[in-house]
Amino acid sequence: MIAEEYIWTEGNPIEAVKNLLRSLKESLDKLQEEAEVCAVGTTGSARKLAGVMLGADAVKNEITAHGVGTLSRYPDARTIFEIGGQDAKLILINDGVIVDYAMNTLCAAGTGAFLSSQAKRLGIAVEEMGDMALRSLAPAKIAARCTVFAESDMVHKAQSGYRKEDLVAGLCSAVVTNYLNNLGKGKVIQPPVVFQGGVSKNPAVARAFEKETGLPVIVDENSHLMGAIGAAILAQRAAAGRVFDFRAAERTFSTRAYECGGCANQCEVVCFYQDGVLLDTWGNRCPNYDRQKAALVG
Amino acid sequence: MKIGIPKAFLYYRYRELWQTFFQEIGCEIVTSQDTNRAMLLAGTKDSIDESCLPAKIYLGHVRSLIDGCDHIFVPRFENFGKNDVMCDRFMGLHDIVRNVYPEASLIGFDLASTEHKSQWQAYLGLGKTLGKGAIEVLLALRRARLAQEAADQKRQRQQNELFRQQGVKILLAAQPYLIHDPYVGGPLTAMIREQGAIPLYSDHCCRRQCRKRALEICGNLYWIMNKESVGAIAMHRHQVDGIILLAAYPCGSDALVNELVLRKVKDVPVIQIILDEQQSESGLATRVESFIDILKERKRVSA
Repeated sequence: MIAEEYIWTEGNPIEAVKNLLRSLKESLDKLQEEAEVCAVGTTGSARKLAGVMLGADAVKNEITAHGVGTLSRYPDARTIFEIGGQDAKLILINDGVIVDYAMNTLCAAGTGAFLSSQAKRLGIAVEEMGDMALRSLAPAKIAARCTVFAESDMVHKAQSGYRKEDLVAGLCSAVVTNYLNNLGKGKVIQPPVVFQGGVSKNPAVARAFEKETGLPVIVDENSHLMGAIGAAILAQRAAAGRVFDFRAAERTFSTRAYECGGCANQCEVVCFYQDGVLLDTWGNRCPNYDRQKAALVG
Repeated sequence: MKIGIPKAFLYYRYRELWQTFFQEIGCEIVTSQDTNRAMLLAGTKDSIDESCLPAKIYLGHVRSLIDGCDHIFVPRFENFGKNDVMCDRFMGLHDIVRNVYPEASLIGFDLASTEHKSQWQAYLGLGKTLGKGAIEVLLALRRARLAQEAADQKRQRQQNELFRQQGVKILLAAQPYLIHDPYVGGPLTAMIREQGAIPLYSDHCCRRQCRKRALEICGNLYWIMNKESVGAIAMHRHQVDGIILLAAYPCGSDALVNELVLRKVKDVPVIQIILDEQQSESGLATRVESFIDILKERKRVSA
């Protein structure tokens, strides 16, 4: 790997993609040899938006991307635990082929978003949580089935005198119990197990996984980038030979969502503009949306 | 006389039967439009919270028909025999609609075979309320049944052709009013096709055979329409690459039966997708895309 970057979206995927481009360009410029971008792949919740922005060769869902990325490093992997910012996934692999998956549905309990909001409440950085939790000698038992319950449980425990590291340790194991109860329900977890996604950087969560499953859990040094590696491999396979231009970082991209009044479906159409020109729309169930309205940059 | 038929729920099971019957006894038919967001919102507003998504949609359809016809056709289905029962929703539907829209003029029938209210008795009663004679009604019902049978068989034949085609085949096992509603199952089937896979429908299989074959997966399924979708799985599980169980939140019978299928059917990949009125399509797309990726990869490796 010659350049990498991991940043928060902070509710603004366009700006995040631009920042990524700038940072990657900088890393590439520092290299001895000249590097060329042959293909671009995007994945994750904003894959479509980022894909249109960059003219991506591959736009793939995160389950496939994570599977491909991990298998490139661990061809024998049978189980992938992935916990990202917004969702959590469990991917089961047999003979190098993804055979089953589970994904959290309506609830964000047990994802990175849960940990970071609790970290904020405790006044610590989410990155510190893991090491802090490992210092705990008596982890607090925190209800794991629901974020709201976990939060009130945590407040009670704090007020009854638990130390901060015990609370954090409790939160980290709550994430794991929640994950295994929701996603692991009815699934057989086979070793080797690989744990990845942003939350895998938290060593307390990784240790809690080992304790709960009784299996060794592998955390790669690039565990936070497995989805990106997978997207890159898929892009390489799909490469159309287009020349990539880093100037995309300097263009003006904007989006606007409006409720289409074209028919009774009232679709929420998202329009995506580059330098004021409509590049793409999504969200519309039919092609009969109001093109003139869509073409206006709001 | 104009009869309004809501394009929801059992319309997707009895379309030809109902249309032919009313035409044969000399009525004009007004069918509501395809489900759209405005109908869903109106139906949701008129429903209690606990109501299931398709029931909310049904009320939206009824509402859209109120001003455009003389009577709205809302039948009551209870059972087709002791162990062939419909969901309570279909038992209560007529009364729910009557209470929610007292201004609407409703017609319908009671179909409850265990209480000697069989199909022909039900339609005789319906004909009587419309002032039609018994012979006329029975002749109309006979033609209507033939029309429905012919249409069902045509759909089965077309589907059997698809089973023989090359490519990734996915059986959608669900209630027909979810699969075929353009607003509910429509985006899902579009996504499956977009991914280059072939969707097949559990209700485009022979219902009688399905009900029998459902026994292979579970011996005592109670609900007749779940029997039919489970039976389609029993019949075709080895002819497809994967199965999608589609359920609407919070459907009681599907919640139970789909869980049963997930536990019992282990030799073919199965996922369950639960739809509700808040579902954003991106979550749906991620699930469908990754499932089809898995199926394609399995097919490639086994070939």
